[in-house]
Amino acid sequence: MTIRLEHIWKSFGPVAVLKDVHLELPEREFITLVGPSGCGKTTLLRILAGLESATRGEIWHGDTRVSDLAPGKRDIAMVFQNYALYPHMNVHGNIAYGLKVRGTPKAEIAARVLEVARVLEIESLLGRKPRQLSGGQRQRVALGRAMVRKPWLFLMDEPLSNLDAKLRVTMRGELKRFHMRLETTTVYVTHDQLEAMTMSDKIAVMDHGVVQQYATPAEVYNRPANTFVAGFIGSPPMNFVERAELRGGELALDCGPDGRIAIGASPLPNGFAGETLLGVRPQDLEVRGAPRAGAVPATVTLIQLVGSEKLVEVAFGAAGKLTAQVKADAPVAAGERVWIGFDPAKLHLFEPGSGGNLALR
Amino acid sequence: MSALGAVRQVIAYLVLLVVTFLICFPLIWAASTSLKSPKDVMATPPTLLPAEVTIENYRNLVTGKQQYYRADQSYVPTTAAPQHFTSWFANSVIVSLGSTAISILISTLAAYSVTRFRYRGRRIIPYFSLLGYMIPSIILVFPLFLVMAELRLTNSLWSLTFGYVSITLPFCMWLLWAFFRGIPIELEEAAMIDGASRLRVFVDIVLPSAAPGIIAAAIFSLIVSWNDFLFARVFINSIENLPLTVGVMHFFEGTHVDWGLMMASAVLMTVPMAILFMLMQRHLVAGFGAGAVKG
Repeated sequence: MTIRLEHIWKSFGPVAVLKDVHLELPEREFITLVGPSGCGKTTLLRILAGLESATRGEIWHGDTRVSDLAPGKRDIAMVFQNYALYPHMNVHGNIAYGLKVRGTPKAEIAARVLEVARVLEIESLLGRKPRQLSGGQRQRVALGRAMVRKPWLFLMDEPLSNLDAKLRVTMRGELKRFHMRLETTTVYVTHDQLEAMTMSDKIAVMDHGVVQQYATPAEVYNRPANTFVAGFIGSPPMNFVERAELRGGELALDCGPDGRIAIGASPLPNGFAGETLLGVRPQDLEVRGAPRAGAVPATVTLIQLVGSEKLVEVAFGAAGKLTAQVKADAPVAAGERVWIGFDPAKLHLFEPGSGGNLALR
Repeated sequence: MSALGAVRQVIAYLVLLVVTFLICFPLIWAASTSLKSPKDVMATPPTLLPAEVTIENYRNLVTGKQQYYRADQSYVPTTAAPQHFTSWFANSVIVSLGSTAISILISTLAAYSVTRFRYRGRRIIPYFSLLGYMIPSIILVFPLFLVMAELRLTNSLWSLTFGYVSITLPFCMWLLWAFFRGIPIELEEAAMIDGASRLRVFVDIVLPSAAPGIIAAAIFSLIVSWNDFLFARVFINSIENLPLTVGVMHFFEGTHVDWGLMMASAVLMTVPMAILFMLMQRHLVAGFGAGAVKG
């Protein structure tokens, strides 16, 4: 059954942290709420859990209005950022607690805890206290506690952010595998766009309490709704060039002393003309040693090697800056004169004032 | 270890030894005296160890006999009364445990309330409560006596129980408030999502997490009420209802002090608390430590 968040508003005193959030969460999907800190994503998750009540709006699960129910009556499970394992109970006690509270028969509790422990490979840890576990193990116990009740919804609040970088990548894969295995609808909160991109079926990008875009990872990446989404999703972040002018079906950049350079045909299907904000991802730029038509002359200011790639920062025109991502062995050096080529199919044009994507108008 | 280091260590241990002796000497003296016969007690020069060990004093304490002396009956009436060591001891136990139980029950609930519920004044209550604890009991005792008199509770163990609660409750609440604030709220939220009611969360999650704090508060409360002299002296006027602290004063009589009985009861008064301390020492240190840092 689909979960519907209907026009959710939330204010803390005079501060509105959620403004008219309206989302449909399809059954069995992995949905990520992503955004910078303070965007309201955790508050939204807590409202779903019943730990906060919405100032206005309702939550529906099929025909059931969930927003009236206490957290314990919603039959959902949540994994907290700091895991929130009960410190005085051992692993078995932690996983079993939800079942015990619900009055499940002892034999069934034992069987289900064991089953979950087997799936998570923590059978040998059942007798230990949380403080005797490593970060990754605690993570699994928290997951086990959520899984054992077979809830209809998993809520996860930045569950990987307390782990070191390497373990985070491993657990990311595991979480995804568990989701594929259990097929329980999952709402996952993170500020890490990479986690959002890699794990999700759908992403809700949030900023200032508003859902900026709600779509598949590919859609969010390839057709960002506005400059916020475009800048937030993708690493390294998208370049923005101001005062890119569309005229007569051509897109031209103001390159200061080098004059106006037409970099290609307009990517917009509609006949928009005028000044726009150009967005282009570092991966979509070409760095050339020799001029060609439509390439912008620039000077390399900084090179950062990141393994198999390097990030080339260039300055062009009066005050323009771009970052391009090229192969590590590309022959570029700081201080060199280069020409930056654009692929018209991979340009994003935004309205200068609102920041909205002109292609989606 | 270098020679200098060794010398330093020796000096440090010597100092500690002297300090330990100074602290322990009265206790040793009391224990030794309690095991002496009347003749040895008053021996000149005094001996540290009894010439012959006797448990006569303890036997007399428990059987309620006053062995040597009957004071002039008309002189100071209380001194004429027979001693009631067993009732005094029982009174002390009842009053200490009773006031501690009430203090802990109220202070855990109150401290939890001010940490977790949102209402007007919840931030200020703990500070007021500490302020209450700062008022010396000598100032509290007379107003409290009037209250007890109004409630017709004077000369009963209830007056002491409630009197001690009024001193210990504010500090216990302050201590537990610091403790509850240190418990991550996510633990409670996790339990609520697991389906537990607020009360169940409190019993299953909050109380065990705050156990060191509760133990520390309970020990504090026990010590205060066990050792109190002032309230007992003011609130109680019949000899059978006295707690130990004031009761043993009756071994001082007009012309005679029964040192043997006195010291035996001092030992029996100290032992329960000493045992409790030894058992709970670890928790006590953890409790006060946590309170101090977070408070």
